[in-house]
Amino acid sequence: MSGSKKLPKALVGSFVFLVYLFLLAPVIVVAAASFDGGKSVAGRAFLQFPPSDLTFYWYEQIQPRLWEALGVSVSVAAVAAMVGTLIGVPAALGIVRSNIPGKTLIATLFRAPLQIPFIVIGIAFLQTYYYVANTLGIGVQGTFAGLALGHTFVATPYVVGSVGAALQRFDIRLEEAALSLGANRLTTFRRITLPIIMPGIYAGALFAFMVSFGDVPIALFLTSATYTTLPVEIFHGMEFDFEATVLAISTVVLLGSLVVLYFIQRLVGLDVLLRSGGSG
Amino acid sequence: MRANWTLVLFPAMLFSFLLLGGTQFLFIRAGFFEDLGIGLIGDELVLSNYVTAFTDSFYFDSLILNIQVSVLVVVCALICSYPVAYVIARMRSQQLAMIMLAAIVVSSFVTIVIKVLGLIIIFGSDGALNQTLVGLGIIDQPLQVVGNIYGVIIGLMHYVLGFMVLMLFSVIQTIPRSLEEAALIHGASPYRMFMRVVFPLSLPGVVTGALIIFNLCMGAFVSAALLGGGKVLTLPVVIERTIVLDIEYAMGGTLSAILLVSVILINILSVWLLNRFRKARLVIT
Repeated sequence: MSGSKKLPKALVGSFVFLVYLFLLAPVIVVAAASFDGGKSVAGRAFLQFPPSDLTFYWYEQIQPRLWEALGVSVSVAAVAAMVGTLIGVPAALGIVRSNIPGKTLIATLFRAPLQIPFIVIGIAFLQTYYYVANTLGIGVQGTFAGLALGHTFVATPYVVGSVGAALQRFDIRLEEAALSLGANRLTTFRRITLPIIMPGIYAGALFAFMVSFGDVPIALFLTSATYTTLPVEIFHGMEFDFEATVLAISTVVLLGSLVVLYFIQRLVGLDVLLRSGGSG
Repeated sequence: MRANWTLVLFPAMLFSFLLLGGTQFLFIRAGFFEDLGIGLIGDELVLSNYVTAFTDSFYFDSLILNIQVSVLVVVCALICSYPVAYVIARMRSQQLAMIMLAAIVVSSFVTIVIKVLGLIIIFGSDGALNQTLVGLGIIDQPLQVVGNIYGVIIGLMHYVLGFMVLMLFSVIQTIPRSLEEAALIHGASPYRMFMRVVFPLSLPGVVTGALIIFNLCMGAFVSAALLGGGKVLTLPVVIERTIVLDIEYAMGGTLSAILLVSVILINILSVWLLNRFRKARLVIT
């Protein structure tokens, strides 16, 4: 290879390296700074990167409020992913396999929540909950149900998208073979169809979980001062000057995400996430 | 057998479409009431909020700023993500490619709030980057990123870059390598091969990806609110303030409707323009 060809290669290589640095640096910095002892000035800590010493001090100092918010986030995301899957899987099956007229329109409508800016979804659910409270007298704003419903709304399209993609790759002859060999419809679905589309379901449910877990703009309007999610807590903490414990709990979340991704990799392989594409 | 699947589809449709239709109808309707202050709303449907939104330059400017910032971020994200996606897709070592993709997935899956937290630490005026740059004498003054438009752009880039790499990777991966080799063997320079073979074939993916991240940018709230430091007023930031600080629920609905309609219109317009552009090119070449 000539020198003139090596130069662009080196250029592209360093460019790619810089992009990775840009993408990963903030995450690494948050984790590293959370172990910094910090200088405490008037009750506030100023952490720095690189950390000057290593300590778990800020992890012990994490307020119960933050742990509670983390609990809310995890449970809301779990319910949103579960309900999203219960709706998304039948929806994908119906869209791909039925011959209902207007399929394209139906598929587009199922995808619609992805086109709506999250902040608009937050406002829309807030207005809807006010309306429901005024007319029916049921208050759902600032409750678990209200938040989970809002997150289910944005989570479902991810499941529909990834399961739909899995179904489109599905070889229908496998089902025909099972049926002709004497399996009934339910057995065929349970033993043939479901296992094959399972990676798609995992991927969709995981996307649904992460979208709900990371969300701020929707939760901002659907939570209350006493009932709130971790990202909203962190957001409010950062609007002014953040406390060191926020870095510590963020690192806990980072570790949690890594563990989840590791299990996904072991269970179905990370490439399932790529194949189904987050866009739905 | 066919009727079964329609029956399976029906409950899911009912739930999803009721939620979609109900929430969208109610918030758009809410935008047509009048704010009476302290969170109260009038009974009559009026157009006054829309008149205010389009005549008061404060609101209109925030929409324009929102579109400008989003377009800029889409262009920057494309330039940054294409080489990365291409390198990963054409990597000889399958294992290294997998590790590089996993790193992108990990960074995309971390909630944006935590990434913004990291960005503030890095780019803060007494942060690591500024100390190094000032120490090396490259700059005299620390770079100010929090509280201005550059901060917002950096934050939005962080929000969308990972998604864009993953989307472009899945497109470039489907382009057979043999096409590139054929072009090179027949004497095309690498640059020409890229412009005439790889890029045109990846164009549908580029456009889909660009529209998706444009939509994400238009609705992005966290990066704009935190890295803008309350000084960069994009429409999502203004909407949040209208609801939370001014307690004007109706006006919040109006502005949300304007944001939603702008996003949809820009999407339709770009798809239409692209189709025209493609047809025109087919005639020429």
